[in-house]
Amino acid sequence: MTDATAQSFIDTFERERASLPGADGWLAARREAAVRELADAGLPHRRLEDWKYTDLRDVLEKAAFTPAPVHQGAVFLSEEDTRNGAALFHAIDRYKIVFVNGRLNRALSDMEDLPEGVVLKPFADVLGEAWTKALIERRFEINWQAQSVSALNMALMADGVALHVEEGVTLDKPVHLIFLAADDGASHMRTLVRLEKQAQATVFETHASAGAAHYFVDLVTEVSLGVGATLNHIKLQDEAEDAVHLATMRAALADEAKLDSFTMIAGGGVSRGQTFVEFEGRAAEAHVNGAYALRGKQHADQFCVVDHAVPECNSHTHFKGVLDDESQGIFQGKVVVRPDAQQTDGRQMTNALLLSRDASINAKPELEIYADDVQCAHGSTIGELDKDALFYLRSRGIDEMTARQLLISAFLDEALDYAPHEEARAELKALVAGWFEAGNLSAEDIL
Amino acid sequence: MLEIKNLHVEVGGKEILKGIDLQIGAGEVHAIMGPNGSGKSTLSYVLSGREGYEVTQGSITYKGQDALAMSVDERAAAGIFLAFQYPIEIPGVTTMTFLKTALNAQRKARGEEELDAVKFLKLVREKAKPLNVSDEMLKRPLNVGFSGGEKKRAEILQMSILEPWLAILDETDSGLDIDALKVVSEGVNALRSPERSMLVITHYQRLLDYIVPDKVHVLSRGRIVKTGGKDLALELEKSGYAEYGADEAA
Ligand SMILES: Nc1ncnc2c1ncn2[C@@H]1O[C@H](COP(=O)(O)OP(=O)(O)OP(=O)(O)O)[C@@H](O)[C@H]1O
Ligand SMILES: [Mg+2]
Repeated sequence: MTDATAQSFIDTFERERASLPGADGWLAARREAAVRELADAGLPHRRLEDWKYTDLRDVLEKAAFTPAPVHQGAVFLSEEDTRNGAALFHAIDRYKIVFVNGRLNRALSDMEDLPEGVVLKPFADVLGEAWTKALIERRFEINWQAQSVSALNMALMADGVALHVEEGVTLDKPVHLIFLAADDGASHMRTLVRLEKQAQATVFETHASAGAAHYFVDLVTEVSLGVGATLNHIKLQDEAEDAVHLATMRAALADEAKLDSFTMIAGGGVSRGQTFVEFEGRAAEAHVNGAYALRGKQHADQFCVVDHAVPECNSHTHFKGVLDDESQGIFQGKVVVRPDAQQTDGRQMTNALLLSRDASINAKPELEIYADDVQCAHGSTIGELDKDALFYLRSRGIDEMTARQLLISAFLDEALDYAPHEEARAELKALVAGWFEAGNLSAEDIL
Repeated sequence: MLEIKNLHVEVGGKEILKGIDLQIGAGEVHAIMGPNGSGKSTLSYVLSGREGYEVTQGSITYKGQDALAMSVDERAAAGIFLAFQYPIEIPGVTTMTFLKTALNAQRKARGEEELDAVKFLKLVREKAKPLNVSDEMLKRPLNVGFSGGEKKRAEILQMSILEPWLAILDETDSGLDIDALKVVSEGVNALRSPERSMLVITHYQRLLDYIVPDKVHVLSRGRIVKTGGKDLALELEKSGYAEYGADEAA
């Protein structure tokens, strides 16, 4: 049933359809179908098991986002706006692609001088290519309720980037996608990544505010890894306090491909991150890890499904988080091992540290196993800061705040160690170490 | 240095210390002996300010100040150090990071300049060597996976670096082999000075051959029931605690 909020997105589609990328090509029909899907099902709500803890319909209805305007003029990160996250990774030599309000900002981007065999373009420019069509039209074997939101993105995606790396090519520097919200409103984006056989790339993503307070980020990332390809991925979500962040990553891995993805959640009002991994070839490996540090009334929901359909693949998922004040954390995860997937090694773990009585965590890691020769494990722990450890540290003269910070950092560091890039990892650790400090970095012209 | 008067302490609603009087002058070393469960560790925790140890009566005066009014870390910065009977494991925090944070926190609290990385490293190396604490141990998370003896040596290393004015050693000798006992005792003796006082809790007279005390107290059922010179330890070694009512103890 169409709800009012879904209808308002459909109205937006009707108004903007002619100007959306691919309006006169094959994508138009896909968008039409997505709109029908959205009209039939509406936005997901808490009566759906996969959305039990995050009623997206309710969240979006209350927030009543209108489309974000195309941002005019320069982008400033004022001292107040700039969150620590927006300042990260700038010291690392990388290709930089900046989106403002969901639109590529060429002036701030630096996508020149790419090595031979690498395409990095707005997806609208490469819609005519077979690989982009294949990625956009791809259907996953199991259709999760959680994936229903991809219809919203399909209908409205207005910009985004496509990265293609040819066989055997290693991208020399990380690609850094920076998504900034300069004005309030909703933006819908799509990232496409295709690494051919034995290709390698590293992609960073930063999501932050540059002046906006009340906005909705809707991003779908499609990843396809060829035989023996490797993608390292680090995502930092540090949105504004009233922002809604909805991100879905779907990855399919061919034989011996490797995905190493790490997500850090620091800022954002309501966020839902979804990861779906499908193994298509043998002996592939997926790491989907993350850390979060929540406070205030932040609500962060991570949903992760790894589908082992073929033999000999490894998957490892580990999320660790600290929750202060009245924040809410959710981890829902599933490892599915289908009958053919012998010799699977599938692991899923989550640990949370509650720093306040009013903070809460719901953790539900699950295994669904139909093969017999497998090694699988899952688990979750929820705890508080160890009082004895605090006393021990304080008995050596370390004040309570510092002692707490030391223990919290130590707890999160274990997860941060998964981030697959040394310098980025160090910057993330510094961000976490500064989590307690109220003041942020001064911004100036860091972009 | 330290003056404890009529100290009554409850833990979990149960009175454990029932009127302790103890005075330790500057430069003195006092030993406390006593049966299991008599309240020795309780006394050490109360001195360092651990939560959950409720002082219902009496006072603790340290260097002329009311220690009970000071927080755990304030007491530490003022020079009270407890070598734990059971040192706590701190996963994820390396021994090195911990030592640096602790030393600089204390220096900062006292208005002294913090040590930079180079000076700090030099200091740690110098103090670690005589205690046989290896670089590898310093890189490991604090106390995690340390053997019993290693934990005790790490405690003494902390003490040597922090240079407290009042050191409380709670069964630092238990779990040490004969060589380690010597090494640790030497570490402790190196700190002895006319301005520094020590309270050594032990079950074994042997430790007191190395760290020779000025006074020995017997703690039984929450009270100091006897005080004597270093020879008292030898007597206790022979006769046990029976005459002090240990049999009736909790
Ligand atoms: N949290 C607590 N609740 C109740 N009783 C406690 C608690 N902690 C300690 N006690 C009790 O207090 C008494 C004194 O304990 P304490 O650890 O001080 O003894 P001790 O003299 O150090 O013994 P040991 O020689 O075995 O180390 C014991 O009977 C112990 O069971
Ligand atoms: Mg004891």
